[in-house]
Amino acid sequence: MSSPSLTLPSPATARNRRLLETLGALAIAGTYIYLVLNQPADITGGPGSASALIALSGFLVGAVLLIVGVLPTLPVSTLVLIPVALVLNIVLGQFVGSTLVPFYLDAIGTVLIAVLAGPAAGAATGALSSIVWSFFNPTVLPFAAGAALIGFLAGVAARHGLFRRFYLAPVAGFLAGIIGGVVSAPVAAFVFGGTSGLATGAIVSAFRSMGDTLLAAITKQALISDPMDKAIVFTLVAVLVYALPRRTRLQFPFVRRHRVLAGTAISQPTGESTGKSAGQDA
Amino acid sequence: MAGLDVAFAAGSLTAVLGGSGSGKSTLGRLLAGWLLPGDGGTLTGFLELAGTRLRFTGTAADPRIDPGSWGRQVGFVPQDPSAALSTVRATVAEELAFGLENAGIDRATMAGAVRHAAALTGLTRLLNRDPATLSGGQLRRLAIGCAVIARPAVLIMDEPFASLDTDGAEDLAALVRKLVQDGTAVVILSQRADAFLHNAGTWLVLAGGTVAAAGTPAEVVAAGALELAGVVRPRPDTGPRPLAEAGFPPVVDGPPALELRDVSFTYRGTQRRGWFRAQPGPPADPVLHGLSLTVSAGEILAVTGPNGAGKSTLLRHLNGLLQPTAGSVLVRGRNIGGQPAGRVSGDVGLLFQQPRDQLFERTVEREVRFGLERGQLAADQAVRQALAAVGLEHLAGRHPAELPASQQRLLALATVLARRPPVLALDEPTVSLDGHGLAALDRVVRSTTAEGAAVVLVTHDLDYARSIAHRLVRIEAGRLLPAD
Amino acid sequence: MRLHPMTSLAAAGSTAVITTAAASWPLSLTVIAAAAGLSVAGGVARRMLPAVAVILAPLVLSLLAMHGLFFPEGTTVLVRWGPARVTVEGLHFALERAAQLSAAVLVLLLCSFTISVPDLVAALSARGVHARFAFVLASTLTLLPAISSRLGRIRQAQEARGLVIRPGIVGRAGAFRWQAVPLVLSLVEEAGTRAAALQARGFGSAGQHTSYRAVQDSPIQRWVRLVLVLAAVAAIAARLWQPTAGAS
Repeated sequence: MSSPSLTLPSPATARNRRLLETLGALAIAGTYIYLVLNQPADITGGPGSASALIALSGFLVGAVLLIVGVLPTLPVSTLVLIPVALVLNIVLGQFVGSTLVPFYLDAIGTVLIAVLAGPAAGAATGALSSIVWSFFNPTVLPFAAGAALIGFLAGVAARHGLFRRFYLAPVAGFLAGIIGGVVSAPVAAFVFGGTSGLATGAIVSAFRSMGDTLLAAITKQALISDPMDKAIVFTLVAVLVYALPRRTRLQFPFVRRHRVLAGTAISQPTGESTGKSAGQDA
Repeated sequence: MAGLDVAFAAGSLTAVLGGSGSGKSTLGRLLAGWLLPGDGGTLTGFLELAGTRLRFTGTAADPRIDPGSWGRQVGFVPQDPSAALSTVRATVAEELAFGLENAGIDRATMAGAVRHAAALTGLTRLLNRDPATLSGGQLRRLAIGCAVIARPAVLIMDEPFASLDTDGAEDLAALVRKLVQDGTAVVILSQRADAFLHNAGTWLVLAGGTVAAAGTPAEVVAAGALELAGVVRPRPDTGPRPLAEAGFPPVVDGPPALELRDVSFTYRGTQRRGWFRAQPGPPADPVLHGLSLTVSAGEILAVTGPNGAGKSTLLRHLNGLLQPTAGSVLVRGRNIGGQPAGRVSGDVGLLFQQPRDQLFERTVEREVRFGLERGQLAADQAVRQALAAVGLEHLAGRHPAELPASQQRLLALATVLARRPPVLALDEPTVSLDGHGLAALDRVVRSTTAEGAAVVLVTHDLDYARSIAHRLVRIEAGRLLPAD
Repeated sequence: MRLHPMTSLAAAGSTAVITTAAASWPLSLTVIAAAAGLSVAGGVARRMLPAVAVILAPLVLSLLAMHGLFFPEGTTVLVRWGPARVTVEGLHFALERAAQLSAAVLVLLLCSFTISVPDLVAALSARGVHARFAFVLASTLTLLPAISSRLGRIRQAQEARGLVIRPGIVGRAGAFRWQAVPLVLSLVEEAGTRAAALQARGFGSAGQHTSYRAVQDSPIQRWVRLVLVLAAVAAIAARLWQPTAGAS
């Protein structure tokens, strides 16, 4: 073959980062199960810091492991999109968070990446979003694991064609929101002893006035806010993605390979010739 | 693209000319390793660089280009220089060094290379500036500096002269001469056959993805290939020309289409830019001092002046995007003070410099229809007429973002035309239009004024202003001066 | 002498961890006072104040309203309005949590307002593995301020086309698509160009990388960082060992 200096060694050696990803997922799942099973009694009684520390460190370590596992495997074209996604998350999240709406809308960028580049990229984007955002708002840091989960679930939904029909996107968002909300509730309960917003706080107060424990009240609030929030986010992302020109959509291998979006059908079953239509426009 | 066969020798200057959408940028990206065979397209044929020949057959067995090492041999400067910057380096010096850092070069060597590249591109005084605060011309020189710091054998530049004023263009021309003298093969992709490009050894005219003509500039001009390919040929500079249509007869009856009475404008206070980071940011828009101006129906007024003199600020007052701090703006005798721009837009159509900001629909047709009465026969007709006026009727079903730049500008123009505003305000209308686009713009401006609309256009292209306007004014440091 | 960015980060991080682990309000108040004092001394107080207000005001108010009014576990009732009962335990819990969270938030914000981002990026990049993380962080911080001016430009361009944004949630939601589509489209396309440009400049390639920016470091700071990290780990361990120690 030709001089090695100008070309890459044929098929790039895919580094096996699966172990780190699995460890990260296990850390998050393990932390959640521990917190729910042990239902620490000190939540409103004692200093409450042991469970806060466990929630914080378990979820954070999991999120960091996910990032370390996924980030080096992403192609540069996906990597440069992540800051764009984070900017969308932060700008919208900061704006909506300051209004009196019990939603967050801070995952639009994450879900966008997940739909265009897949579950792994989505999970990493979610986790990175919380970590980078904590630079101006440290209170979002503990939610890194929940954000990663939403990114992952959005990617899975996209892979299984839930973005091919417009009406399925909010359904997928609703389901992802239920899971994400349930997982994030212990963080709100143990780390914050409540919620960080006024509107969400009002909902928790309502459940508390009926005598619920703090964790139960926050979980119920999350089950009201999160599914609606994520249904809105998934719908907005579907609107955005379908407004992108075909050529832009098709430049993402994940979209081509799994036929994520309607109207990106490929006549040949093999993945190899998928790019032709895009190339011919140029 | 098909059947291309090109070669560039060391120390040569080549211009690849062609209209919008002719495949110039695709060729440039392909040669520079920016468009990698395999992602979204197939390449057959071969690329040869520095004695290495890579043969592509469009199959999985093709060699895979390493963009990093390819980039050390071939530098590329895209049309939008700010998109080429890393966005992660705080100063011009660090931005220049970014490529060297990734190659693992030690700090002392890097410092030397940065000094050399900065001296070459005239950035020495700006080495400690934040790249986000640079002007357009400085950004372009920085992008060139980033491309040449590794001393590539070939440098490819996409539309480097677009939107540079005279000084910026002269600086860039000097830089290109230096690079050619140093033995770099420089390739310039352009849709304008600017005066400087007549220094090129070879012209290559692209049309529809193939070479339509090639040879020395004189040969290509003689063959008449430029006009067919939609390349803009600026008229040779022969000093000030008289106005093409001087002596416009003033309309006597009715109020003027547009009147500015003693308009002044200053920015109040500073805008809060979020608390994320204290950033100097680009300088605030210039101020205006007591401008008075009347434009009659059917008249074409051209406003010229240097960059930053207040041309665009003036234009934004015409439709209420900016409200004057003193004085008033009257459209057909009615004061538009206090009205949101969205309401004035039916009377004053404003075309922006960046067409991309104005377009948001899924198809060209829906884009033009936006804001018109739904389902009305009249609306259908207005859409058809507006598209026909700019020559885009055959693209009605396309996605606006997939059109080449020139056609995007024409589409933005069509969206304005469809509402038949009595006043048309155009911000630098000639920028990024190719030959065919310029012809369409000329037709539109003449036909709308013939129908009684007033046109105000702002341009740094004095030659164009003289070729079309009835009247010329010059704005300098926020004050109106009679032109010449 | 300027602090190495990693030292500030370690100091802020371990202070936040220790405050959370200790869960004692005198310590929380001390940390709050110290952070406030340092921000004034460092001259960042004026820039920091709006950020702190935006984050902490809703948080503290929400905690006070939630636990101050509704705290079923509370026994010492001060006032009672219908379903709402103000209890001593509820107020105590809310204030304690508020102090603890405020301390952590203030310390971390102080760190991000005083740290030099370019230095941090250089320090992270020097550690190899983090080059991509450093890119994401720095690129986001660069793009953020640019976004607001770009959104302003898009809004102007569209108002010129006849878009009138009605006040209120519905109007804004209607305008979302018109503004978001051009924004996202231009950002995505720019990212495509940037990806090609970065790759051509060797970003993402394997092999040794160097750094042009020199970040000052000293052996003392290295030791300080180590001690800070160990202290944070020790605090966590101590708390997990004795979950209820120091309960008030």
